[in-house]
Amino acid sequence: MFRRIFFHGLMAGLLSALAAIIYSRIYFFATETDFSKVLGLRRIIGFSLLTCMMTVLVNYGIIRWLKKKGEIIFNFLFSILSFAAVMIPISVTLPLSVQLPELFPGLAVPMVFFPAMAWYTLNPLFPRK
Amino acid sequence: MKKLIYPFLAIVLIIGSAFTIFKAQDWKIADTSFVKFDGGDPSGQFGGMKGTISFDPNDLANSKFDATIDVTTINTGNGMKNTHAKSEKWFDAEKYPTIEFTSSAITKTAEGYEAKGILGMHGVQKEVVIPFTFQDNTFKGSLTVNRLDYNINTAEPNHGASSFKVDISVPVTK
Repeated sequence: MFRRIFFHGLMAGLLSALAAIIYSRIYFFATETDFSKVLGLRRIIGFSLLTCMMTVLVNYGIIRWLKKKGEIIFNFLFSILSFAAVMIPISVTLPLSVQLPELFPGLAVPMVFFPAMAWYTLNPLFPRK
Repeated sequence: MKKLIYPFLAIVLIIGSAFTIFKAQDWKIADTSFVKFDGGDPSGQFGGMKGTISFDPNDLANSKFDATIDVTTINTGNGMKNTHAKSEKWFDAEKYPTIEFTSSAITKTAEGYEAKGILGMHGVQKEVVIPFTFQDNTFKGSLTVNRLDYNINTAEPNHGASSFKVDISVPVTK
């Protein structure tokens, strides 16, 4: 089962990274603000993969521990943690060389939901036995 | 009486032109100038310095600083804090859009120079002394400013820092 969850997480991480990269390009063209110093390509991919790989471990652990109810608890937990993560880009202090930090939450807040969105999008493709 | 008109005009011209000769060198403030403030939390910087700088190390008596910074250029690195800083509770940028410094005397010291003058901020004007150096066409100075002296959020004296170390860097061109 772990193999199935692992590939679920890996694919979700890649899909989340792709969505975040596309969104960051759209945001750059829309606002002409460059946040690549603090949220560049490597960090976007790293954040997406790290989040989804950690999710793999949490998902596996909760399903092993709580059996049938595990998936329900996990879904709630993942959604709540994604929502709580909104505070990270809002409260972060950027380097002073970065102009218009007021626009940073507009870029980063939607991104914190991408791993969860990608995970739930791919969920039907990786059914748990 | 008519005879005195031309000598009088000549004296006026001589005195007037003497001022142009002895006027200290005028400097243009570069866009890269900044005023950093460090109080732990918050810390940040202002940009957008404008004004006139007349400075000649050999003629300090005729040297003068008259500079303003735009309060709305404040950058703490956090958008939420920037908005708060500009609000009525703190700098009240709408009512007091600039911070001004006008020197009244510049003197030489062992480390560099000192500019004595009036610092105006948040509607309060106080006399300050700013020690500074001038090297490679850049003025660098520092001072300590207490926001409570300028009536900035006096209702919450312990909300964040009250005393700030201020570092000023002003690159100039002729």
